[in-house]
Amino acid sequence: MTRPLSSRDWAGKTGAGLVLGFTFALALSGLFRLGTGYGDAYFSAQGQLGMWIMALIWPLILGFVFLFRTSLRAWLWLALANFVTWVPLVALGGLHAS
Amino acid sequence: MKLPTDLVRMYKEIHGWVGIIAGLALFIAFYAGALTMFEEPLQRWASPPSALAPPPSLKRTPELVAKVKAAYPDAARGYEVNLVIDAAHPGRVSWRAPGGKRGEHGGGATYFASLAPDGSLQVETQQRSQVANFIDVLHQQVGLPFPHWLAMPIMGGLSLLYVVAMISGIAVLMPSLVSDLFALRIGRNVKRMWLDLHNLLGLMSLPFHIIIALTAVVFAFHDEFYGAQRLAFSDAASRARPMMRAEASIEGTPTITPLQIVQRLRQQAPGFTPHQIVYGQGGGILPALRVQGSDPRYGQRGPTYGIAGLDPNTAEIVDRNFMPGMQNGWAATTTGLFTLHFGSFGGYPIRWAYFLMGLAGAFLFYTGNLLWVESRRKRERKSGAPQQTRATRVLGALTAGVPLGCVAGIAVTLAAAKLLGPAATYGVHSALYYAVFVVFTVWALARGAAKAGSELCVFGAIAMLCIPAASILGGKSLYDHSELVLVDITAVLMAIALLAMASAARSRARTGSRDSVWSSLSAEPAPRFVP
Repeated sequence: MTRPLSSRDWAGKTGAGLVLGFTFALALSGLFRLGTGYGDAYFSAQGQLGMWIMALIWPLILGFVFLFRTSLRAWLWLALANFVTWVPLVALGGLHAS
Repeated sequence: MKLPTDLVRMYKEIHGWVGIIAGLALFIAFYAGALTMFEEPLQRWASPPSALAPPPSLKRTPELVAKVKAAYPDAARGYEVNLVIDAAHPGRVSWRAPGGKRGEHGGGATYFASLAPDGSLQVETQQRSQVANFIDVLHQQVGLPFPHWLAMPIMGGLSLLYVVAMISGIAVLMPSLVSDLFALRIGRNVKRMWLDLHNLLGLMSLPFHIIIALTAVVFAFHDEFYGAQRLAFSDAASRARPMMRAEASIEGTPTITPLQIVQRLRQQAPGFTPHQIVYGQGGGILPALRVQGSDPRYGQRGPTYGIAGLDPNTAEIVDRNFMPGMQNGWAATTTGLFTLHFGSFGGYPIRWAYFLMGLAGAFLFYTGNLLWVESRRKRERKSGAPQQTRATRVLGALTAGVPLGCVAGIAVTLAAAKLLGPAATYGVHSALYYAVFVVFTVWALARGAAKAGSELCVFGAIAMLCIPAASILGGKSLYDHSELVLVDITAVLMAIALLAMASAARSRARTGSRDSVWSSLSAEPAPRFVP
């Protein structure tokens, strides 16, 4: 029997969305940067779109994070999402690569 | 569509709380934002007529530029040649005072210059009104009277709440979507009607709200996003370099004349209407010689213009990043998103559509607030409270006072621009707006939502009528173009709408359901029935 969804543990879920949602969005934008190869030209046309990706992903996570049953689950699942995006990003040389 | 009931209940609670926190600020952002659709006409409407001589022809403009540079060496750093002369751009050549902030959020006094009939230099400082700029800032900062650095994170937080409100609102609406969508039950159950209206408005304008929310997050947090990316992805050596290109100026004097620039540009981009040639104020992502203008067939990156970056010697378009219709796919994508926020495509028909969508958005937040207050009252009554709690009363009063205070405040400060002329600085406009806003809000708190609702609608209508009154009192040369009478006509229409709302609110306070914030009856004990 699963516990019904409730808005009571909103603080923990919101925290997960704000922190891990942000780092997840950052990782996705990093993968985009790697794929398009704009390097340090953050204000280039590709670079700007890379910034928009964060503006799209982060609020979406924040809106849907309440669907996790508990705030612990929210933290764990989002941590996993961060893991599966940051690992390839680091492995492919997405950090400090221009 | 079926959704689990616990999910819907959870999102309903979230929707309510997020809405009540963000609703009133979003009302101000949307109402002021709707007005910024007409930033240029409003600025022209509010700007006093100029005493400058008619502009010299483009052919004679180099003579004017040379005289300006001789008399004001600072102008050589960066100046504009205005191709469209109106009340907001009264001189052929303009430049900003040294020391004034430049760039995106800059200010500082602006000078305009022309040539007198005898060929001598004429210069005028900042005649153009600051009121349109004030309304724009009010929009950007969701009505907060704070400095930019403080208002922006708060606005960003509100924009995140706005996204959450949108997602939760859709979740709540989903189960009854098909049966409720086109049901607008206008009848005895007034609350049902408000809910239907709220749902209909919310769903029908959802694409608009998605774009506005996404872009609002970008406007609030772009520095943070770029900063985080740089911190995570770039090495220390790269981070040490300044992120923005240094201020770019033009080497030497451009060899090409304004007339040649306009002609060359017409050959290269026939549909592009140039408004302004900007010299030597590049840097960041802006080219040092650029022409700002519009092409209604395409989206524009700025609220009112797109940009052609030119080679200073040949006037060939070399920077197409912001040039309508000439961008590559990447640049066109981000421009498209900006454009959909600014409504800067398709000319004035689209601006009117955006104006109405902005007003509808403001109304969406107002109805949301109203529903929250009403259902809270109902819950309190069910749980046995004989009187509504103070929190509910205060929120009910704010729901009437804040939106009407914003509407009236903007109307009064706009009218003042016409009457005060150059005396109406940015600070004066700000003070007038907040004075009216505070008086309305305090009035609503003191009188309660029921009485204040109709009274403030009447006051709001009077404030709105100040706009055409100011035009009439303003004197002979009312407008630089007769089209601008639309500003006054719109104000009169809005005054009529406010009066209609006042009369509806009054009749509801007298005869409507007693169990409502709008009922003035419920505040008093029920009259005893005497046989």
